[in-house]
Amino acid sequence: MTALPTAEDLKAQIEAGVPGAMVTIVPNGSPSAQDSLLLDHEHARAVALFLRDHPDLRLDFCSLVTGVDWLDTELTEKVKVKKLAAGPDGVETEQEVEETRKTKVPGYLEAVYHLFSMEKKHGPPSLPVVLRLRTANRSDRNHVPSLTSVWRSCEFQEREAFDLYGIVFDGHPDLRRILMWEGFEDHPMRKDYVPPADDILLEARP
Amino acid sequence: MADDLKDLKLELSKNGIFTTTLEELYNWGRRNSVWPLTFGLACCAIEMIATTMARYDLARFGAEVFRPSPRQADLIIVSGTVTKKMAPQVVRLYNQMPEPKYVIAMGACAISGGPFRDGYNVLKGIDRYIPVDVHIPGCPPRPEALIHAFMTLQKKIEEQALRGESRPRHLNADLPSEFPVPEFGAHGLEPAQNDEVFLNETGNPLRIIQ
Amino acid sequence: MNIPPHPWWTIVALLLGAVAFGFTPLALAWLWARVFSPQKPGADKNATYECGLESKGDAWIQFGASYYLYAIVFLVFDVEAVFLLPFAVAFSSLPAGACIAMLVFLLLLVEGLVWACQKGVLTWA
Repeated sequence: MTALPTAEDLKAQIEAGVPGAMVTIVPNGSPSAQDSLLLDHEHARAVALFLRDHPDLRLDFCSLVTGVDWLDTELTEKVKVKKLAAGPDGVETEQEVEETRKTKVPGYLEAVYHLFSMEKKHGPPSLPVVLRLRTANRSDRNHVPSLTSVWRSCEFQEREAFDLYGIVFDGHPDLRRILMWEGFEDHPMRKDYVPPADDILLEARP
Repeated sequence: MADDLKDLKLELSKNGIFTTTLEELYNWGRRNSVWPLTFGLACCAIEMIATTMARYDLARFGAEVFRPSPRQADLIIVSGTVTKKMAPQVVRLYNQMPEPKYVIAMGACAISGGPFRDGYNVLKGIDRYIPVDVHIPGCPPRPEALIHAFMTLQKKIEEQALRGESRPRHLNADLPSEFPVPEFGAHGLEPAQNDEVFLNETGNPLRIIQ
Repeated sequence: MNIPPHPWWTIVALLLGAVAFGFTPLALAWLWARVFSPQKPGADKNATYECGLESKGDAWIQFGASYYLYAIVFLVFDVEAVFLLPFAVAFSSLPAGACIAMLVFLLLLVEGLVWACQKGVLTWA
C-alpha cells in the first residue's frame, strides 16, 4: 500500500496523460489540507477514466458525490483612481482619489466527487482524491458532465445532487428526482431556499 | 339522575349485587380489544415494538393483536417522523380503517415535526390531516409512555356516551369516515392542513400566519 | 296413544341449543352494526389495500416462470431439513436399512439440485 500522490503530482500526471485537460488545484486551508482538483467540463470524463484506469492510481471507487451551493457575492475593493478634480483654489488638477468599487461575482454550483481505490486499498482514514466540477452560474447554465459512465456508484448520488441542488448532469442515464416527488419545483438544499409557509406561527381563527 | 344511579349501583355492590348498563358493557368490550395497525415509521416504532414484547407486554391491555391490514385495525399508532412524501400514505391508511378508529401520535416528530421541524421534507405534525386522540411527547417516548397513552385512550373510550352529540364517530352518521388525502404540490403538500381537523383547544381551526 | 319420544330428539335439541349459543352473539353484533352503526363507504375506504399507496395497474399479470423454479429449489432444501432432523435425533438406534433409505432420499434431492444447477436456475438474471 503506497500513499496517494499529492494534488500537485496528480495535476502533473493528469496533464501529461490527458492532453488539453485543464486542472486547477483548489487549496484547502484547514488542518486536513484536503486539496482538491477542479476539472474543466470537456475533459472531465477523460480525466476520470484516466484516474480510474491508470495502473498506479486505480481510483476505482467513487464513495461520495455531493453538491455545494456558492451564492452570488459582492466584492468590495478600494481602488485608487486618477481623476480631474477641482482643488481648493478652483483649478482642476489631476488627483489620486480613493474609490470603493463593487463588483458582482456570480455564484455557482459545484459537484464534488470523493475517490478511493479498492485495488490499491486506499480508503478511509487516508484522505480521498477530491474532484470538483463547477457550473457557470446558479440559474440557467447549471450543467456539468456526468461521471456515472465512469463510476456506476455515482448514479443515485448525482440524482440526489440534481434533486436537492439543481445541478444538471449531462449524460446521466436516468436523471430524475430521487428524494422529493416528481413535480416538486424547488431545490431544498440551496442556500436561498425558502420553505413553504406552513409552519411559521399558528393562531386561532377569530 | 346519573348520580342517583351511581349511588344505587354503589349501594347494590356493597350488598354483593353487581349491576351495569349496556353502555358500560359495550365500552368495556371496546376498550379492552383495541387492535392497533402494524405500522411503524421511524425510531419510535422500535419503542412500540418493545412495548408489545414480554417486558412491557401491551397484551395486558387487550392490544396484543397488531393487525397487518387496516381493515381489521381499530388504532393507528403514528410512531415516528412523518415525511411529506409519506403523509398521503398515512392518511390513506387511516381512511381505509373501519370505524370506530383511533389515532395515537407517538413522539415529537409525529406530534409536531420534532427535531426535523425546520426541514424541507418533514410534516409538522400528523394532526394536520387526521384527528389525533392522544399525543405522546418524547424522543422517543419510553414504552411506559406508550402504555400511558394507551390507558388514556382506554379511558377516553370508556367515557364516550353512546347517545348525544359526543357519541363515538361510528355511531354518528354525520361525521366523516374519510379525510382528504394531501397531494404533492410544487412546493409542499397541498393543502397544508385540513381545516376540519386541525383545531386548537377551543375547537376553532388553526390558521397559518406569516 | 302414548308414543315415546325418539331418543335422538334430545341430541337434536342439544345441537340446536349449541348452534344458537354460537350464532346469537354474532347475530346480535350484526344487528347492532345494522341498526346503530351507519355505513360509511368511500372511495378510499373501499380501495385496494396497497400499504397506503394507490394501486396501479391490474393484479392479473403474468409472473415469470423462473419463480416457480426458485420455489422448487427452495423446497429441496426445506424438505431435506424437515426429514433430516428426526433422522438425526433417532440416528443411534436406527438399523442399517433406515440409513440406506435416508441416503437414497438425500441422493434424490441432490439429484434435483444438480438438475436445477445444470438448467441454470441458480444463476441470477
